[in-house]
Amino acid sequence: MTVEEQIREIVARITRVDPSIITRESTFKDIKADSLDVVQALVAVEELFEIEIPDEEAQKFQNFGNFVSYVESRVSKAEKV
Amino acid sequence: MGGDYAPEETVKGAVLAAQQGDVEIFLVGSANILENHLAKYATARNASIHIASANDFIAENESPVAAIRHKPDCSVAVAAKMVKSGEADAFVSAGNSAAASVSAIQYIGMVDGIYRPSIVGALGSFAPNTAMVDLGANVDCKPHQYLEFAIVGSVYAKKFMGIAEPRIALLSTGAEEGKGNEAVREAYRLLKNSSLDFAGNIEGNQILNGRANVIVCDGFVGNVLLKLYESIGGHALDWTHQKMKRYPFAGIFVKLLFNKLFQATKISTETEQGGGGILWGVDGVVRIAHGASRAPHIANAIESAKNAVRAKTTDSLKAELEKYNQGGKA
Repeated sequence: MTVEEQIREIVARITRVDPSIITRESTFKDIKADSLDVVQALVAVEELFEIEIPDEEAQKFQNFGNFVSYVESRVSKAEKV
Repeated sequence: MGGDYAPEETVKGAVLAAQQGDVEIFLVGSANILENHLAKYATARNASIHIASANDFIAENESPVAAIRHKPDCSVAVAAKMVKSGEADAFVSAGNSAAASVSAIQYIGMVDGIYRPSIVGALGSFAPNTAMVDLGANVDCKPHQYLEFAIVGSVYAKKFMGIAEPRIALLSTGAEEGKGNEAVREAYRLLKNSSLDFAGNIEGNQILNGRANVIVCDGFVGNVLLKLYESIGGHALDWTHQKMKRYPFAGIFVKLLFNKLFQATKISTETEQGGGGILWGVDGVVRIAHGASRAPHIANAIESAKNAVRAKTTDSLKAELEKYNQGGKA
């Protein structure tokens, strides 16, 4: 499973939406996620990938694609270390 | 250790509850402060009251959602984790109710099939066979939550009201399927296609006629109605008292009568007194108490949590959801 697929699964499970409707362009608003959904998704992703996502970075996520790209970059950096 | 009158009244309430026996209480918060308050009660020495240290807390004006990430050791989080680990059977909070709710979701988790916690209340006096969900835990709701509220309400009606096959109704602005806002209209479709005994929409003037055993609405509407309903008795008494001023002797009689009658118009959740309720749908027992709770209210909230644990409300909900998912009637 790719990082994107894993994050999509987490977001879909938390927000109770069909994973297939979450595209890289989807915003949290598009999938009707509220602030608790977003924080739960962040916490779940942090735990799964053993990373910490600072608030200032999380606030920059405009859509699902931004979120995935950020996590992918952190995961690949961690793998290189 | 939250609440408007914490820690004084909260500690006193815990001592009152402990005096009833059959309960072991952990006070979660700053150990020094709690020890000092607990030391005031001679009876507490022999009671089963312990202190679980948590040095952080979520302030009333703080975002509980943000606090999940940054204060994992605040008192409600510690209490929730104690329930999750099995160290405690239930947690009771008179602090920021959103913080308790968020901590419960994050650290205890929800029952499979339930998205967010909800609060259920029986209407009592005017409609003894009717309960409402949600009474304030979810201000904005997604359509599927109304269906979940209906299942939660069914469990409540069976468990606490003795109704074998609860009838469900959706609160809306008209009886027809197309009435209500977008979420309510979609919720109607979900409820209609469910295996629940769905009676359709009802309007505000039908809430008390007993047509439905479980009335489903979002927490915004439910909370407004709850407070209106709770205030009816007092306003009726004031109004009647004004009208009866012309007849002083009859006025005293009417006042006595109304005092007796309208105490019963408070919506009650289980044996609840003093506001709040069980957060249904959490995979453990969480009891919210009103922020302005005094010691007797705290003791009642602890009693209410004990009742929920004894009644195995979480197991009942899981069983009903299982039945519902297999196509049976919840």
